Amino acid sequence: MLMLKISKYISVLLISLVATTAYAQTQQNDIAKEAKAVADTIAANQKNKKTPFISGAAISIDVCGLAMKALDSRFANMEASARLNFKEKYFPIFELGLGDCTREGEENNNVFSTTAPYFRVGMDYNFNKKHNGNRMFGGIRYAFSSFNYNFENPDFTDEAWGVHDPLVLHDIKGKAQWAEIVFGVETKLWSIVRLGYNVRYKMRIKQSGNNWGDPWYVPGFGRNGGSAWGGSVNLTFDVGKTARKNKPKLAI
Amino acid sequence: MRRLTLLFTCLALLASCDQVDCTLDNSVSYTCNFYSEGSKVTLNDVITVTACGTDSVLINKMQGVPGIELPMSYWNEQDTLVLHITGNGYEMKDTIWVKKNNIPHFESPDCPTKMFHFITEVNSTHTFIDSLSLVNPTVNYADVENIQIHFRSAD
Repeated sequence: MLMLKISKYISVLLISLVATTAYAQTQQNDIAKEAKAVADTIAANQKNKKTPFISGAAISIDVCGLAMKALDSRFANMEASARLNFKEKYFPIFELGLGDCTREGEENNNVFSTTAPYFRVGMDYNFNKKHNGNRMFGGIRYAFSSFNYNFENPDFTDEAWGVHDPLVLHDIKGKAQWAEIVFGVETKLWSIVRLGYNVRYKMRIKQSGNNWGDPWYVPGFGRNGGSAWGGSVNLTFDVGKTARKNKPKLAI
Repeated sequence: MRRLTLLFTCLALLASCDQVDCTLDNSVSYTCNFYSEGSKVTLNDVITVTACGTDSVLINKMQGVPGIELPMSYWNEQDTLVLHITGNGYEMKDTIWVKKNNIPHFESPDCPTKMFHFITEVNSTHTFIDSLSLVNPTVNYADVENIQIHFRSAD
């Protein structure tokens, strides 16, 4: 009788053990399934958040050039640009500007002047991997300008022959091509408005002028020479898919 | 960011540096050297050069020189020069005509404006000058021989 009771208890115990184990196994499987589902959902969400190929477009104006013109500087490059945003990394850009210069000699009355457009095309690369509203650019440009320039010397005097005849040379034709290496930073101010600045190293590729003399200033390039430094302060209006999504969000 | 600002400031200062690079030797004249029987010679007589159309004396009583440097008129298409030679007991004159194109030249608003020239033709009255050879028609800052004046030989 005692043996029968013992075997009955053992049987009940075994059955309970098996049942508990089976239940626990089922529970574990459910948790694993749930965890996998959550992981899949997160992956799917991340996939959906991936930066689109065409992420936006922007137009900019150079406030520095406008300020230089307003302050009556010796020369000013007033420019605007339009650019596309590919995957928040590549920014093909087109820049159009108006170069203006009136330069008087410091110790004489010579006057050089020109006002002409210039064009640049190129590409910027955003080195900032985080989509936090800030961009750090490196880029290259090809630039071109075809322009007319003037040179006047009201005191031009032939001393040996004693003839005073002002020298007035107008609409001298010139052309220039150059390349630029650009480095700049840009940050989001508010909504679609961004502010950035850049420095540029400019290298002359080709220049054709006139026997009379080379232009003192080349629109878009600056003071004429083999190379020049430049820069701009850009107010940018950035529209597109990543333009508004750059605001950091809390992970909740 | 502070480093970036410093870098940009340095570059801006670098870009704002201004230089005035004017040619130092900026006199424009043409050189006529003297030749006799094909060889370069020194003129021991006294030479004076005047120009028609002006009272200026371009060369005043030079002696013992192998050649002369003359200015050109800025706007005339042709310069007419009279060479006066005074020797021991004689005095001679010869007239030279130099036809040219005038090319204004400037480097920068800060530098002097000059007139370059391109000589197209030279001629003379052949009193004591046998012939003139145009060896370098471009007249600019370069210090080169432009015209050879070949004198008549003594016999």
